[in-house]
Amino acid sequence: MIEVEQLRKQYDDLVAVKDVSFTARQGEIFGLLGPNGAGKTTTIGCISGLLTPTAGSVRVAGHDVVREGVAARRSIGVVPQEIALYDDLSAAENLSYWGGAQGLRGSHLRDRINDVLQLTGLLDRAKEPVKQFSGGMKRRLNFACGIVHRPKVLLLDEPTVGVDPQSRVRLLDLVRDQARGGACVLYTTHYMEEAETLCDRLAVVDHGQIIAQGTLVELRALHGERDLLRLTGVFRPDAVREGLAQLEGVEILLADEAQLSLAVSDASHRLPSIFAAVHAGGEVRGTTLTEPSLESLFIKLTGKELRE
Amino acid sequence: MRFIWKSAVKDLRRLRREPATLIIWLGVPTFIALILTLVFGRGAARPQGELLIVDEDRGIGASLVSGAFSQGSLAGMITVNKVDRAEGRRRIDQGKASALLIIPSGFSAAFFQNKPTKLELIRNPAQRILPEMIEETLSMTTDGAFYIQSNAGHSLSAIPRAGPLPAAGIAQNAASINQAFGHLQKYLAPPLIQVQTTVVKDETEKPGGFAALFFPGMLYMAVFFIAGGMAADLWRERTSGALRRMVTTPANLGAFLAGKLVAATLVLLTVGTLGLVLGHWLIDLPVANFALAVIWLTLSGAGLYLMMMLIQSLATSERVANLLANLITLPLAMLGGNFFPFEAMPPGLARIGKLTPNGWSMMELKAILAGSFHSSVLLWVAVFLMATWLLTSWRIRRAPC
Repeated sequence: MIEVEQLRKQYDDLVAVKDVSFTARQGEIFGLLGPNGAGKTTTIGCISGLLTPTAGSVRVAGHDVVREGVAARRSIGVVPQEIALYDDLSAAENLSYWGGAQGLRGSHLRDRINDVLQLTGLLDRAKEPVKQFSGGMKRRLNFACGIVHRPKVLLLDEPTVGVDPQSRVRLLDLVRDQARGGACVLYTTHYMEEAETLCDRLAVVDHGQIIAQGTLVELRALHGERDLLRLTGVFRPDAVREGLAQLEGVEILLADEAQLSLAVSDASHRLPSIFAAVHAGGEVRGTTLTEPSLESLFIKLTGKELRE
Repeated sequence: MRFIWKSAVKDLRRLRREPATLIIWLGVPTFIALILTLVFGRGAARPQGELLIVDEDRGIGASLVSGAFSQGSLAGMITVNKVDRAEGRRRIDQGKASALLIIPSGFSAAFFQNKPTKLELIRNPAQRILPEMIEETLSMTTDGAFYIQSNAGHSLSAIPRAGPLPAAGIAQNAASINQAFGHLQKYLAPPLIQVQTTVVKDETEKPGGFAALFFPGMLYMAVFFIAGGMAADLWRERTSGALRRMVTTPANLGAFLAGKLVAATLVLLTVGTLGLVLGHWLIDLPVANFALAVIWLTLSGAGLYLMMMLIQSLATSERVANLLANLITLPLAMLGGNFFPFEAMPPGLARIGKLTPNGWSMMELKAILAGSFHSSVLLWVAVFLMATWLLTSWRIRRAPC
């Protein structure tokens, strides 16, 4: 449904997206995971027709987004990062407008408005102006506007930013429903747990490039199924590196004066030897042990933690 | 076409639900127009001034000169007050009167004896019209005195003898004057020149007085505010992400922009119609061709809307857009005769103002209201509308977000 090949987007000397290639299939949730400024939104912009790629190609539902823009856009539903709604209009009026922009009209449009209002739990608030809605309700309506025309391809650009946990769970359920209904979903996020629980396949993006992609299992395999051990305290990085170098199966992902991130096989049984090795180079004040995860993979791949 | 209408309805609904915006757009010019109507009234206003007279002569001649300013319609405009020389100088120096006239001692005697004498008129430089009128009146009075002296000087010279005249002297003087006027009969009865006055209605006369003079400017001020305010909506849609979302739909961006233009045009049509009806009703604004005036106001307003939209589209941020819009709107409104009518501007400035889009549109509206309109100007408006539309849509398509 989405075929991206060697996509490149450049603004003067700045390369925002560099030779990105991936394919997302029907009924699949494909995640783009990366920190802010990694190039996720630019990638979505190129797919949705908002931006013109500098090089490479993007096909959506068989249509080239540059040469057959209108046909491609008919298949696409976009849920942008910002709440792209008219505050003075009611929920139903917003849906009617965006449905109209997608070419829906008459009874079909009215039926779809009812359907998506029901789906997002906003049916009883249909006639209220959006400015009276809570943040979570606005997010749901923002989502509803993206799916009102039953798109084959749904592009979601960090749709849960700033959303309370309850609304987030509801939104993620709605996304899953779309995929189950046969839509191809491209989901960008910088929330690790969202990517882990939601996406069937993932691409890790940093500095405009895909640095790894595959299913969660495939990505974990890249990391070697090792635990992530985080130590906080006061460290002398060089001394710590020297001490840990003598231990087998311990990889230093990140080492600075305040924290250490280590990839360790069977970490829980090796803690005493690790503490002993680190002791010469500093003082440990806090320890966090995480089982093999996307987060540890991300740190391994990028050398940094993924934060909001 | 359907989506154009849908977009227009969307904008009209949003405007209706935020009536404060519309009230502000219309409120400022309405308030100014109301104040002007209250200040100047519905009829033509007359200037009011004061002439200070220092009468050191206290004779018949001085009374005749003073009396010249209390005649006919001049009396309604100029109040004559007698003061002493010091008080007169003080008040004219403070700019509290239109002019100071000093009639020196011995003026009457000199006049009747046909001797040179002098009247001193000091004008208030801060005023233009009233001192000019006073000077003209004084000039006419002295001219009249000269002709009387030329024709009846001999008889007049007998009048101001010192002391009261005996009855025989009075009778002799009266007879002399009668004789002198008898000589003038052949010129005065019937007069050699008969003046017949016919008042021709001035086509440019404003029946509504000052308020009607200001009204078209106020109307265009409202149009300008509406055009600027509705054009600023482009940035609200940009920052909310609505424009971004629009570009990702199969709908034509041109239809989206056309919808905005239709909404603005409908608002301008409504405001223009109401404005002209109220103007005609409240201040007797002459409206020779109502339909054409409404059409003109709407079309020229749409042109201003597109111009403001182009400015918005050229800005790199909402803040810059607001700054640009204010930098352009206020000077144009002032120069284009929206705050002050061209009639009250220095001629050079008024000439420049008439070349601004709003100033030119307002002049054409005045022409339509007065019943003279050249259809060729419609072509200019069509060209302006087309050019601003093409530039605006090109600019927004190029950088929609």
